[in-house]
Amino acid sequence: MSTATIQTGHANHDAHEHQEPSFVRKYIFSTDHKMISKQFLITGIIMGCLGMFMSVLFRLQLAWPDQSFGFMETILGTWAKDGKLDPNFYMALVTIHGTIMVFYVLTAGLSGTFSNLLIPLQVGARDMASPFMNMLSYWFFFISSVTLLSSFFIETGPASSGWTVYPPLSALPKAMPGSGLGTTLWLLAIVFFIVSSLLGGINYISTILNMRTKGMSMNRMPLTLWAFFFTAILGVLSFPVLLGGALFLIFDRSFGTSFYLSDIYLQGIGALTNVGGSPILYQHLFWFLGHPEVYIILLPALGITSEVIATNARKPIFGYTAMVISLMAIAFLSFIVWGHHMFITGMNPFLGTVFMYVTLIIAVPSAVKTFNYIATLWKGNIRFTPAMLFAIGLVSFFISGGLTGIYLGNSALDINLHDTYFVVAHFHLVMGSAAIFGMMSGIYHWFPRMFGKMMNNTLGYFHFWFTFIAAYMVFFPMHFMGLAGVPRRYYQFTLIPEFGVWMDVNVLITVSAIIGALAQILFLYNFFYSIFKGKKAVQNPWESNTLEWTAPVKHLHGNWPGAIPTVYRGAYEYSRPDREEDFYPQHIPGNDNEHVDDHGYILPTPVRKEIPVAEKPATVFFTSFSRLFSFKRA
Amino acid sequence: MLAVGAFMLFAAFIAFNKVYDIASPSTVVQSAAWFGVGDDKFEPVKVQTTEQTLSSNINWSIAIFVLLVVLVIANVFDISGLAARLSGKENLSGNNVNKYIMIIFLILGFIGVYWEFSHHGKYTLLRNSSSEHGVEYDSMFNVTLILTMIVFVITQALLFWFSFKYAKSPNRKAVYHAHNNKLEVFWTLIPAIVLTFLVLKGHQTWRAITYNADKSKSQNIEIFAYQFGWKARYAGADKILGAADYKYISGANPLGIAVKSEVEKLKLELDTAIMNDRKALKDLNSSLSQLRIQLELYKGLADRTNVVITDKEIARIVSGEVKDELEESIRRKSKQLERMKAIEDNKTVFATMFNNAADDDVISTEIHLIENRPVTFIFRSRDIIHSAFLPYFRVQMNVVPGMMTQFTFTPTKSTTKIRSEKNDNTFDYYLYCNKICGTSHYNMKIKVIIESESAYNTWMQSQKTAFGKEAAPMAVPVSLPSDTTQMRLDSLPVNKLQRLTSR
Ligand code: HEM
Ligand SMILES: [Cu+2]
Ligand SMILES: [Cu+2]
Repeated sequence: MSTATIQTGHANHDAHEHQEPSFVRKYIFSTDHKMISKQFLITGIIMGCLGMFMSVLFRLQLAWPDQSFGFMETILGTWAKDGKLDPNFYMALVTIHGTIMVFYVLTAGLSGTFSNLLIPLQVGARDMASPFMNMLSYWFFFISSVTLLSSFFIETGPASSGWTVYPPLSALPKAMPGSGLGTTLWLLAIVFFIVSSLLGGINYISTILNMRTKGMSMNRMPLTLWAFFFTAILGVLSFPVLLGGALFLIFDRSFGTSFYLSDIYLQGIGALTNVGGSPILYQHLFWFLGHPEVYIILLPALGITSEVIATNARKPIFGYTAMVISLMAIAFLSFIVWGHHMFITGMNPFLGTVFMYVTLIIAVPSAVKTFNYIATLWKGNIRFTPAMLFAIGLVSFFISGGLTGIYLGNSALDINLHDTYFVVAHFHLVMGSAAIFGMMSGIYHWFPRMFGKMMNNTLGYFHFWFTFIAAYMVFFPMHFMGLAGVPRRYYQFTLIPEFGVWMDVNVLITVSAIIGALAQILFLYNFFYSIFKGKKAVQNPWESNTLEWTAPVKHLHGNWPGAIPTVYRGAYEYSRPDREEDFYPQHIPGNDNEHVDDHGYILPTPVRKEIPVAEKPATVFFTSFSRLFSFKRA
Repeated sequence: MLAVGAFMLFAAFIAFNKVYDIASPSTVVQSAAWFGVGDDKFEPVKVQTTEQTLSSNINWSIAIFVLLVVLVIANVFDISGLAARLSGKENLSGNNVNKYIMIIFLILGFIGVYWEFSHHGKYTLLRNSSSEHGVEYDSMFNVTLILTMIVFVITQALLFWFSFKYAKSPNRKAVYHAHNNKLEVFWTLIPAIVLTFLVLKGHQTWRAITYNADKSKSQNIEIFAYQFGWKARYAGADKILGAADYKYISGANPLGIAVKSEVEKLKLELDTAIMNDRKALKDLNSSLSQLRIQLELYKGLADRTNVVITDKEIARIVSGEVKDELEESIRRKSKQLERMKAIEDNKTVFATMFNNAADDDVISTEIHLIENRPVTFIFRSRDIIHSAFLPYFRVQMNVVPGMMTQFTFTPTKSTTKIRSEKNDNTFDYYLYCNKICGTSHYNMKIKVIIESESAYNTWMQSQKTAFGKEAAPMAVPVSLPSDTTQMRLDSLPVNKLQRLTSR
């Protein structure tokens, strides 16, 4: 099978195992996927804390626009003169908050962490297809993070034109302070980020296609792998488009081109010479990534949830095939719906119609996924580990946030909802909260796998309930503000008489946000304390079926000391009536050819003609591609 | 564990106390008090009222209540966990506690949703559309609301109910049930059918709004956006909105409309500016050893142009930044002049643009519309993307530089009517900017007044043309000419002309 080459590759690799790599090779420039996943996770957590802190700062401004906060001046200096946030800096905070959360936490922090950790372990491979590329992927991400954050230390401040960075606002350094050097740094950071995400994505795809262990056919893969697989495909196909868009923007800013600029007169400067460009072009390019991006964020979370829910409900995930097909449908459709962000840009209304049709179709596979999650709980035997709680929380957010998508995907309704707090509520629930919960679920679930220690359950319960309730109290009321026409990205509402009625709601939201933020201290404490002082984890603490739990708790470069386990069945054989135990790990030999029907009866095996994986066209393509980058380790 | 509980409680109380401190003594903005203020300046009036603090406190008490429930239940962990440990059984106490919180959360959550709808639902625009298409919009909205709420209630209830019902019990094994094709087909088809219905209704609503049949008999008003404000341009006596071009924008002609005398003035201005720039550049270009003198020279120029020379400015001069800027400015202005001349040289283009139609246009800082008369807003941006948002009318359209956009609608509720409906004598409609556009984005708005025909005419009578020959313009006639096509600004090939002439 396809793994033959890799296995021989590792025969000599095993011989090196006894010699410990140097500190730098082990902890910093590591090529081991488990270490890289930890690097992604820790960086993601740090970025997440920063993003959350920013949201608290600007929420304070929204709740008490006339109040002066001494501590702000202390930490922000001139950006909060007399303890009051500067309007430009408010925009900068919102922009960087959005950028950090979307790209740095929920793309790199989530997908980077778990794709890295789980793909090799769950497919049964000793490492990624190209460990070196994998290392580069992390370090590009790191450089990108540093570049982005460095914009807080320049005179004109970070990019401030929203996380979408629409030109002309972002293209004209004179249009607002943040559009100067800050935006240059933002664009640079994004370019690094795209490189990182491409290096990662290509690796994930080739590993999944090429390096599955014996018996691990695609239809036996855990749903996590399917989710990471589609996520990586989305990333590889859509990030380059953003790269193009960003490069054009860089050209417009620095080299006098007019891709996005036309007919502009700037106060204090006069008529610009640019003609013929279109700012709408940027929006097309941006959202061609931007929409798939929200699924790049969400799909890994959904994959993690599938795994966690099945494991903890002790039931097979309901409708495995339907789950895979709906993932595939969502991934495909996400490429042709970007226009729903542009209904009111003045583009041809006919296009609006088309984008409305395809957008609302996405609701169908999404609904199927929700029903399947719920059906998996039905008649289960549910263990509420913190991971399970967060997974259930995700489903709840996915429902609440997904349903408001039906309003926003409707071009007619979007007229009055676009860019209001209704949108803020929608995407924070369906993409923000849901994906963060997926990430949390993953952290609690695979913490033993990552660190060989257990996290404290009770702290986890507190963490979950506080965060869950706080998140709903933050984002649910925002729907109503949006319905009343309250625009987003407003520094304060006190200058608009009719929005006065929302003052106390704004206070409620901010207080809830602060409580939610404080609850994260429980998590941070639990996380870091358990790394060092946590209870030792047993081999398979959740009695799970997947392969990652067969590798020894102590980390080895190469994952398994001996041969890689062979897979005999799918990942979701929980509570099979013909078994004493309520789980049936994939690697345990048994009646592996059997086929069990819904009620547990054993059926004759359907004869399936296997095409050797190595001969499938996609495999050939990705193999040759990844070989380009796989360097022999000394 | 109790320590954790105490910590969270403590944190929550600190937060609440802070709120309480801030909310009571100083600056709670009381909504009703806002409206007593004059037209243009909306200085918020800060009033301290007990009602306000009270209503905030209701929120707090609910928040505290929810948190307390969680805390109390969670504290049960220790006790029952201990009991389980003593009796040597598998410890399911955590599981059981969570199972009960699940069901409590479900119930409190639904109560919270209901509370939200009853308390904040009334501020939303659901029942208040002030335009003709708004009625259709609202019915689309309500249908979506009802359907999604049904799904919301059912799925959330099942999710938490199952979590409660099927929580782990030691003497039960989960049912091995991997799929059920009939069920899955069923719950794929149901959403598909519902969504087909929503899509078709949405399509119909969208078409009705965007391919508005009233377009041909509507009054055209240009809405002009700039950092950070709005202007409205009315066609004046000739019923034609004159052509305009961003190249003609000047201090005196903020919309850049094609008025010959203004354009001549601008050309002179530009010439002078270029001359000044050149002079400054020449001064700057002298040798570096004469820096002091240069600074003096530059300062002289600066005095004329009201630029303050600071240390920072000096640094910019020394670094050559100012020189670059001057060169760039000269290049830009020369290009502008060149393009203006190109338009003049092209006789047909010139004749179409400068047909005196703009001479009597009225530029206003308020938007006045006639009740029940269709109107088409034609949007133009001076600098960056803005978005014109009129929530009460269910109207929003981006305002994009280099591309005109438009929106046709019919306001049906006059300002007077909505005031009495809202029981608020000071209420006014506004058009807000709803696309991030810079520092003062949050304060970029223009008042919209819907009034009767006669009130509109009176108002129009009091307006002055931008640079008109007549002192007082005539009202835009209310009866529209039969040939309405010539009124349409978008029928003028202005944009095309620009393209032709700008290279
Ligand atoms: C820690 C809890 C969070 C709070 C309290 C919060 C709050 C907010 C608020 C109030 C805004 C709108 C600000 C404005 O329009 O003026 C905002 C913007 C945004 N947030 Fe969050 N947020 C949180 C977490 C997240 C997460 C987890 C994500 C991940 C997707 C996220 C992504 C965004 C994005 C993309 C924007 C839009 C930025 C823009 O307008 O350019 N936020 N956040
Ligand atoms: Cu989208
Ligand atoms: Cu704006």
